[in-house]
Amino acid sequence: MTQQQKILAAAIAGGLLLVYLTFYTTRETEFALITQFGRPVRTVVNAGLHVKWPYQSILRFDRRLRVYNPRPSEFLTRDKKNLVIENYVVWRIDKPELFVQSVGDTDSAEMRLHDIIWSGLSAALGTLDLESLVSASADKVQAAAMLDMLTTHTDLTALAQYGISVVDVRIKRLNLPEQNKQSVFARMRAERGRIAMQYRAEGEEQALVIRATADREKEAILSAAYKDAETIRGEGDAQATRIYGEAYSKNPHFYKLVRTLESYKKVLDDKTTIILNSDSALLKVLTQGEAGVK
Amino acid sequence: MSSLLLAAPEKVKEAPRLSRGRRWALGFLGAWLLSGLFLVAPEQQAVVTTWGAVTSPRVLPGLHYALPWPIQQVYKLKVRQLRRTVIGGDVADIPLGRLQPAASEFLSGDQNLLNVRVVAQYSVSEPRDYLFQAVDVDRVVSAAVESELARRLAHTAVDSIMTTEKVAIQNDVLLAAQKSLEDYRVGVALSSINIENVAPPPDAADAFRDVAGARADAIRFVNEAQGYANDLLPRAHGEAEQMEQAAHAYKEGKVNRAMGDAARFDAVAAEYAKAPEVTSTRVYVEAMEKILPQMRKLIVDSNSNLDLSIIGKEDSSGTPPK
Repeated sequence: MTQQQKILAAAIAGGLLLVYLTFYTTRETEFALITQFGRPVRTVVNAGLHVKWPYQSILRFDRRLRVYNPRPSEFLTRDKKNLVIENYVVWRIDKPELFVQSVGDTDSAEMRLHDIIWSGLSAALGTLDLESLVSASADKVQAAAMLDMLTTHTDLTALAQYGISVVDVRIKRLNLPEQNKQSVFARMRAERGRIAMQYRAEGEEQALVIRATADREKEAILSAAYKDAETIRGEGDAQATRIYGEAYSKNPHFYKLVRTLESYKKVLDDKTTIILNSDSALLKVLTQGEAGVK
Repeated sequence: MSSLLLAAPEKVKEAPRLSRGRRWALGFLGAWLLSGLFLVAPEQQAVVTTWGAVTSPRVLPGLHYALPWPIQQVYKLKVRQLRRTVIGGDVADIPLGRLQPAASEFLSGDQNLLNVRVVAQYSVSEPRDYLFQAVDVDRVVSAAVESELARRLAHTAVDSIMTTEKVAIQNDVLLAAQKSLEDYRVGVALSSINIENVAPPPDAADAFRDVAGARADAIRFVNEAQGYANDLLPRAHGEAEQMEQAAHAYKEGKVNRAMGDAARFDAVAAEYAKAPEVTSTRVYVEAMEKILPQMRKLIVDSNSNLDLSIIGKEDSSGTPPK
């Protein structure tokens, strides 16, 4: 290799080094902070190919959204009820320069966020009743407005102090403190017991109504039938009476005779002892002979 | 990465300098240029970045060309694939001894605790946002869904959650969570929120089961009563019909008998009228013939005194007709 070639090789190597130190790319997911001997000079927001002075260096920051879940903590509402709340915070680095100076890395950023949110949330919850968070009727619930305010407040504070943009603070989970749970379970059991009792009682009520209605209907049917039956029997009796009356009134004397004799047949039986006068119409002939006939 | 980016052009520039390997260098250059061809499968979409910045946010299926590494970069995504995230503890753990009770516990509007497990499914709607907007999209999705779920459950009474409002809750959570996700611009579309399991806490499970039992009991009571009524009323109708028929039978019998008796009497009376004396005697005597043989008879003379003591000796009753 000649001297000339050596110089050319050195020039090319030097040129490549210069290119390497001058050009840089940033991706969609990151910010680039350009520092000059440790001092931040500017922030590059747009992704793409960029140029800097060779003596400047780059710090890269992930600018994507992050989700931070602080540990669940216990808060006290205005009506002195304990509530365990689990949050999530959606945040990202917005001002890399401020971020690197005030916090540096994501772990300590999340610790700072935790502090801001914890104090903001405990102050906000102190003005709300439990009913505003947990209530069977939706119109009482004011949690959304409270969280919007908390988000705005956190965002302003975090942006000003740490260069962090807070996109959203939300309640991820509402729960009751562990020590309250046994009493809650007891209350739930009592409530269920009450509801079960109510179901059974309502069932019995309906059943009784059905039975009573059926009994009443049965009585109505039978009594109506009795009424009809007796009316019919009465008609029969009346017709029969009329027929007998018409027939017998043609010859009452004979009827009397025949009917009386017929009744004897029924009234007198083998246990009867009859004392007959020998003068009686039947025996006259026996005692007096033909004279008895007269 | 930046060091790698600049390593390649170095190799490219080697081609003209080394005359011995010029052909090799050209071949290498050609291969490098060809490496920019890429295929997007039918279920995929791709995003192309140039020097890190997005230049083609949505490349549709087909054969495409991008400038080779390190200038352009291709990110392929299966956009139609449903991704799945589970919120709430693993229900299967509960019988094994509540491994993570708090993870699935939600508070209902009437301050009951419930173990809920929800499965959210989503797909990529905006590949560019999905790729570059959030560190962990899955985590963002599950946080958004969980938050809306907790909020919705905190407005709803436990009975509604377990029964009638399940579908409404799923729909509401889907819409609200989708809205949050759009605010975050993470480029996903929720396709379904499915409440897979809602169970009371084990400590109160018996009581909840008893309510279900009570509901069944109530239905049983009513059915039994209905059965009673169904048995009673047809019987009553039958009985009524029977009474009526019996009455008709009675009436008919009574009238017919009366007519028979009357006819018989009429006939006999007509004959009687022809010979009243003889007939009455005959009738009287015939009757006596029928009656008297059965009885004990004492015939006394009308002039003698009657000693009634003879009656006392006999076990007899009834009074003789005069």
